[in-house]
Amino acid sequence: MMRLLLAIIALAVVLAVPAFAGEFWTTLLTQIMIFALLALSADLLLGSAGLFSLCQASFFAVAAYTTAILQVRHGVGTLIAAPAGVLAGTLLALVFAFAVRTRGVYFILITLAFGYIVWGVAYRWASFTGGDNGVTNVPLPAIGPLRVTGTTQYYYVVLVVVLLCVWAYRILTASPFGLSLRGIKSSETRMRSLGYDIGRHLYMAFVLAGVFASIAGVLYVYHNRFINPVAGSFPVSVEAVLMAIIGGSGTILGPFIGAGIVLILRNWVSGFFHYYTGMLGIVFIVTVLWAPKGIMGLIARWKSGDRGEGV
Amino acid sequence: MTAAIQVDRLAKAFGGLRAVDEVSIAIPPGERRVLIGPNGAGKTTLFNCIAGTHRPTSGRVLMFGTDISQMPENRRTALGMGRTFQISNVCTDLTVLENLLLAVLGTDRRKWIVYRSTGAFPGLHDRVLAGLAKVGLADRADEPVKFLSYGERRQLELALALSSHPKVLLLDEPCAGLSPSERQKLFQTVSALPRDITLIMIEHDIDIALALADRVTVLHHGRVILDGTPDEVQSNAQVREVYFGHV
Amino acid sequence: MRSVILQAINGISLGALLFLLSSGFTLTFGLMRVVNMAYGAYYLLGGYIGLTIARATGSFELAIVGGGLAVVVLGYGVDRFLIRPIGSNHLAQVLLTVGVAFVIGEVCLAIWGGDNLKIPTSAYLRGSIVLPGELYYPKYRFALILFGIFAAISLWLLYHKTQIGAVVRAGVDDREMVNATGINVDRLFVLVSALASFFAGVAGVVGGAFLTLNPGAEWDILVLALVVVIIGGLGSLEGAILGSVIVGLLDAYGRWLLPEFSYFVLFGPMAVLLLFRVTGIFGKEH
Repeated sequence: MMRLLLAIIALAVVLAVPAFAGEFWTTLLTQIMIFALLALSADLLLGSAGLFSLCQASFFAVAAYTTAILQVRHGVGTLIAAPAGVLAGTLLALVFAFAVRTRGVYFILITLAFGYIVWGVAYRWASFTGGDNGVTNVPLPAIGPLRVTGTTQYYYVVLVVVLLCVWAYRILTASPFGLSLRGIKSSETRMRSLGYDIGRHLYMAFVLAGVFASIAGVLYVYHNRFINPVAGSFPVSVEAVLMAIIGGSGTILGPFIGAGIVLILRNWVSGFFHYYTGMLGIVFIVTVLWAPKGIMGLIARWKSGDRGEGV
Repeated sequence: MTAAIQVDRLAKAFGGLRAVDEVSIAIPPGERRVLIGPNGAGKTTLFNCIAGTHRPTSGRVLMFGTDISQMPENRRTALGMGRTFQISNVCTDLTVLENLLLAVLGTDRRKWIVYRSTGAFPGLHDRVLAGLAKVGLADRADEPVKFLSYGERRQLELALALSSHPKVLLLDEPCAGLSPSERQKLFQTVSALPRDITLIMIEHDIDIALALADRVTVLHHGRVILDGTPDEVQSNAQVREVYFGHV
Repeated sequence: MRSVILQAINGISLGALLFLLSSGFTLTFGLMRVVNMAYGAYYLLGGYIGLTIARATGSFELAIVGGGLAVVVLGYGVDRFLIRPIGSNHLAQVLLTVGVAFVIGEVCLAIWGGDNLKIPTSAYLRGSIVLPGELYYPKYRFALILFGIFAAISLWLLYHKTQIGAVVRAGVDDREMVNATGINVDRLFVLVSALASFFAGVAGVVGGAFLTLNPGAEWDILVLALVVVIIGGLGSLEGAILGSVIVGLLDAYGRWLLPEFSYFVLFGPMAVLLLFRVTGIFGKEH
């Protein structure tokens, strides 16, 4: 009951933001939701299946590039360009998902290397991707007579899409498949002897995570209005994981809290301090040393009367 | 009649060491077979070759006539094999109920479903709770497994192995690490299993082993030195020498 | 034909540089299962410090030693105060050391700025040598190859012929066994890690004399070193040697033949290799 009430209040606040908070906060909140979705995609692998992927930005970027190139260079409408972006990111995930043949450190290093392929191609294949400059002048989305004309409208578009994704994600984590991922994280040998083909389950989890990352990428390109190789770079991937961990891995709210903290910090710090990356580095270190279970972990500990068991 | 499990000239070597050396055993359906032997006799290696943890270096394992020697574990499970581990192996981060849900879904195509939560499948939770009641864990369904005692985990593990309705059940030292009263409880649970389940177990507690077994296979240095009824095993001089350490 | 040969030398000299970086990564992983993503930043910092020393003293040799030693001090601090408290969790290690790398990168940017800088070498290393067939090639690159071979042989001897090496090898195979022998692994790790840091710093100086030092260079070089490690197999010195040569050659030929897809040329073979052999050429399960 309490939770429902909180959810309704939260929804009301989120819906009302553009009305009272002004353009700056509306834009920032849009961005937070998009990156929270990317963090959620990283956390589907990390929090559920225990896989630390460092190439979520690849699907994000490939989806964004696809949509941008179709819209800008070929004049394709949003109705086709947006789903095409998600499809392209997902197809890449189908290929990269072979990384699940490995575990542990190898998985981390291989996904990192995969991420660099995408970044490298985006950066060097300038004739197609625009190189360092990327693709600019991406229009706001429009489907037939329905046109998004400003930040406020786009805020609502992102809100609806992200809420739908969260809803799907919730069901996914509670589904037999989601449960099987948590089982695999806990004991692969046991799951195998219960009849699970671990490789195929992790493969599918990887692809599903790719779908969420791709959706985030499409939302991003319409928000940002341009795309360059930075979107597919290693820092974006690792930041997505960091967001999930700061907020609390294995939860749904966690990635949103984490994205909020990181992006608000970035906006605030960049205002007066030139060295944002170093600041972010300190956030990484502090999180790992003092809050490895994130904000949600701290809340859970506080709620349980600090029995010292964490979550 | 086709044997439930037939091991055919099976050998398994680790580097230069032949842990199992040309072993052949046939276990008819419904039999309860106990593997015994001193440490290093090759029991666990043989067991793991049957279960699928190891692939044999040579020779074959047949289950109801199907060659399963190279088959991954999950497919063996789908064919009707269930197992427990020597050291308790359950998903400790999950609740008791979730563990059993996973076990029930393991051999069910519904394990791939992503668009519906487990609670929304009619009858699924009831079936799982019934399985828990059988091993006396129904009231702890929502407890995370890490809060269970070791004895309770072994009971749970048995419930996991049984929930796919296996035709062949492999138990790796089910009583290891249990107190005498917990042993008694587990012994009763195992004795009460339906007789149509073929049971293969490794057991160090010789009293339990002989009480449960229809037949006993004695291994020594990777070879079978005797295959007989519990009475024959007890009276065999060679077995007494290698296993009990005196004549 | 001339280009084929020149690119081969380019590739092998890059391989020599990569070996300096990847051998440290792979050995510290082998001994302590520590994944340290800050080695790229160690490289960059070592290079910048070497640059400052070279400018101040005019001595390239002093720059190499100074750059290496500075990184040893830094690396010890990171090991002792940041990595050790978090234990053996790879996820935490990666996030933490990425954070460290970000901080180091930022400090370098603040001190040395964002320009592409090159370290001046000694006079005897400048100029070209003439190969049979009128091929001119920079002397420095040859010196680098020799240096790499020297480093590989020294490490190989240390690894295979000394007590320290025996313990490290045992640690790669079986951590528990080493602990059981009563050898103080922690102290040995300090030594191996110091050596790895030193190599990373030295790599920065010798690399900074023919590649450039600039913000972001730490990640470019780290990724190459990681590919070396993945191809060769984590914890294997022979893997690091072979992997360095392979990656160096792939990079050189990739940039020459398919400049737009050079990253693809580099990572494609790695991906294919992993489909067939998950732990790299010489690696073991970890």
